[in-house]
Amino acid sequence: MSTIKDMTETKNWSGQTLVTADHMLFEAPRNKHFMTGSEVLKEAVKRCTVDASVSYPITPQSEAAHLIGELWAEGYVGVYFRGENEFGVMSEVAGCSMAGARTITTTSGPGTLRAMENFAQWSGTRIPCQLILMARGINSPLTIQPDNLEVSYMLETGCMIWYAENVQELFDMSIAAFIVAEKPDVHVPIVTVVDGFFVSHTRESVMLPEDDIALFPYEPYKSPLPPIDSETPPGRFLRDPFVMKSNYISYATHASWQWEVRSAVERSRPYAEHFLNGLVHITGNEDAEIAFVTCGTASHQAKEGQRELEKLGIKSKVIKLRTIRPFPKKELLAALEGVKYAFVPEFNVVGWLEKEVKTALYGKSDTEVVGGPRVAGGMSLPAEAIIQEVMEKINPVKGA
Amino acid sequence: MANQGPTYYSPYPTAVYEGVITPPEGKALLLTDVVDEEIAMREIAKVMLTSENATIFPGPQVLYGYNEEAKKKAKLIKEMAEVLNSKMIPMYDYRPKYPKIDAEVEINPNHPNLTIWHNNIKAAIFIGVHCHYANVALKIVRAETDCYTVAICGLSGHEDAMATLRDQHSSELEKFIKIAKEVKAELGK
Amino acid sequence: MGLDIYKINPEFKDIMPQEIIDLEENATWAQNQTKPRGIKELPETKELLEEHSLCAGCPEAAALRYVLSALPKPEDTVIVNSTGCTSLMFPHIALHTVHSLFGNQNAVASGIKRVLNWRFPDIEKDVVVLAGDGATVDIGLDYTLQSFFRQENITTICFDNEVYANTGGQESGMTPKGQVFKMAPTGKKFEKVKMWELAKTSGCHYSINMTASAPKAVAKAVREAILIAREIGPTYLNIYTPCILEIGLSANEGLGEMKDQDKDRFASYKYVSPEAEEFLKKCKAEGRL
Repeated sequence: MSTIKDMTETKNWSGQTLVTADHMLFEAPRNKHFMTGSEVLKEAVKRCTVDASVSYPITPQSEAAHLIGELWAEGYVGVYFRGENEFGVMSEVAGCSMAGARTITTTSGPGTLRAMENFAQWSGTRIPCQLILMARGINSPLTIQPDNLEVSYMLETGCMIWYAENVQELFDMSIAAFIVAEKPDVHVPIVTVVDGFFVSHTRESVMLPEDDIALFPYEPYKSPLPPIDSETPPGRFLRDPFVMKSNYISYATHASWQWEVRSAVERSRPYAEHFLNGLVHITGNEDAEIAFVTCGTASHQAKEGQRELEKLGIKSKVIKLRTIRPFPKKELLAALEGVKYAFVPEFNVVGWLEKEVKTALYGKSDTEVVGGPRVAGGMSLPAEAIIQEVMEKINPVKGA
Repeated sequence: MANQGPTYYSPYPTAVYEGVITPPEGKALLLTDVVDEEIAMREIAKVMLTSENATIFPGPQVLYGYNEEAKKKAKLIKEMAEVLNSKMIPMYDYRPKYPKIDAEVEINPNHPNLTIWHNNIKAAIFIGVHCHYANVALKIVRAETDCYTVAICGLSGHEDAMATLRDQHSSELEKFIKIAKEVKAELGK
Repeated sequence: MGLDIYKINPEFKDIMPQEIIDLEENATWAQNQTKPRGIKELPETKELLEEHSLCAGCPEAAALRYVLSALPKPEDTVIVNSTGCTSLMFPHIALHTVHSLFGNQNAVASGIKRVLNWRFPDIEKDVVVLAGDGATVDIGLDYTLQSFFRQENITTICFDNEVYANTGGQESGMTPKGQVFKMAPTGKKFEKVKMWELAKTSGCHYSINMTASAPKAVAKAVREAILIAREIGPTYLNIYTPCILEIGLSANEGLGEMKDQDKDRFASYKYVSPEAEEFLKKCKAEGRL
């Protein structure tokens, strides 16, 4: 096992050379590999000088959690263990992170819901931990299939939410996520979402930097709250207090605290823009009147739809949202300028992304938002369904 | 009530909802404008020197001598208070106090407005307060008082203050004191 | 760093309140002591609990003062709390403490302890959980027991008042059978949970059931439990701190109630594993107890 005492100015405890996130993400030479989302997450964590990880089995994230365990056994991760259930795991993660550790965990579907109370607490206590959410359906009835309904429950937890489309994005995003979450003026948890199976279990080619480099360690003393280690004043410090007991009643503190958490998420924008190369990515015809607003795997399917539509002589574009919290409102409005119809294809029954898009557009855009096509419970989203949705809208008599 | 702020009772809207966020590295924030650090320093000194009951609120990161930087900053803050003719009221911890605070001699992040109202403070510097608690307090002060708030921050700064300096270590404090002395001489204070 | 976080910079001494100056000058910190800290210093020294908003005469407040006086190394001790009456005292403890959610205290403490071991391999950092019976035995039972199974190096102290007091007097798993409380309007239907026995079965190396009637006994148990947790594994203290409000006693009757229960539901139970027994002997020989 490694010890933190093995770390030097230039090397971390596992002997990797310490580099900046800019070097890791933009400068270091890369080689081609062929791996799944779970495997690539191991490669990302390996390069992040991670102090702690807590795991629990649930499909489809189990393999990713095993592989982080292997990293611990190999000396790359400082603390690793299996918790008792997801509520326990997320509480253990809170403890690890408050005590000053760069911390990562993974979960899916029912696990996310079981742990839910923790997420609002995480953001409230300003820990910069990372949760990799490999989205799957939630009960009932039981399903292990891909479906991202669970993301809708995460939207107002005060955590940042990023959404990766594929294996490559999962690698790059999960590295950038630590760096952005740990910025002192941000310093809130980050949830990096991928669609379960479609990304976690699909093998794709990815470009990775060498594994002899790793990010500089987390600096707990640049935290906006004292870490819980008895090393920072004030000595009398509860994280976090029951504020309404102050001066009999302190009516504004809880409100201010909650707004501060949301403000912190907003402050992540310039950092995310830099490391993600923009909060939205656009492909297709820039001047198209038809757009798809997407995240995750739906982006991939929409791009295929866009190519097929082009063959039919119909111009369209895909506006892929890379961050959901903060929501890229300004970027979306700019991308929708001149667009007549915005389709929102989704992998869930409720259309939470459609609601997000409509909220952002309300009173600010003439684009008509079409919530669909929508699939759920493990169904795939073929390009044909996307094309049909478009055809029925623009040519209702003839159809596809 | 005297010295009531613009929103009366709610710490909203916060600055980020009005499109203001922390300044980029090397810059400072004056109200909604990103400016050079020196310009902000001059303005801060001027406001402190010309406002009623200007006060410095030192926080735990400078009140306690837990490392060399904190000890150095303590000396500089004492000097800064003298140059700015300002009082000092400590925010020595962040706990909700029971049954109540003594607004004369302390400031508490859970209701900083009470200290500002009680002492009729028209300009204040927050320094050495952990960023989260500074932000919680600054939002309340911004909404509920007419106090001009300044955040001198060792990290990324605070958009809910009227003026914020970021990455302020002892060398930057020395620079601020030098500028404050010049402003003081110009104003004949 | 240790004690330095309590040292006031001389430039600010004149503007700091007496309670903070006292913490620096007149509290008993392990670093300043040649002998173990203990209950005997309470009258003359600065206590680590500044104030609290519990009911007058609440035995819980007294018990917390005994606990704090007995911490072997307060300047390197983190206490993890849960929701309940105890959480009203926590902001006023002069240590780094945590309140996260209701019931997850042993999980949070597990994360903190493991990371402190990782980050500070050369400094003993003690992690203590202190929560009520609802948090420890009902809503948090899974996390309490699982931390015992995993042999986490933490001490768990349950202030057992046999009721959900902070929410207005509802039955808990620790309420004795037959007792009428809210949510048990015809009396509790099942026996008080023998948490101290569960603790033993689940892997604790030291498990005690007692009342807070004798300050020295509480202090001794706390000290032993923390030292064992540091070196060997999980330890558990179940301490009766009656809710005088909910059982209809007045402010001066808490001590009498505890003394009565010393002979009844809280008749002394003590389990020490053979390993811990050996270790305690060693501590005694070294003057650590």
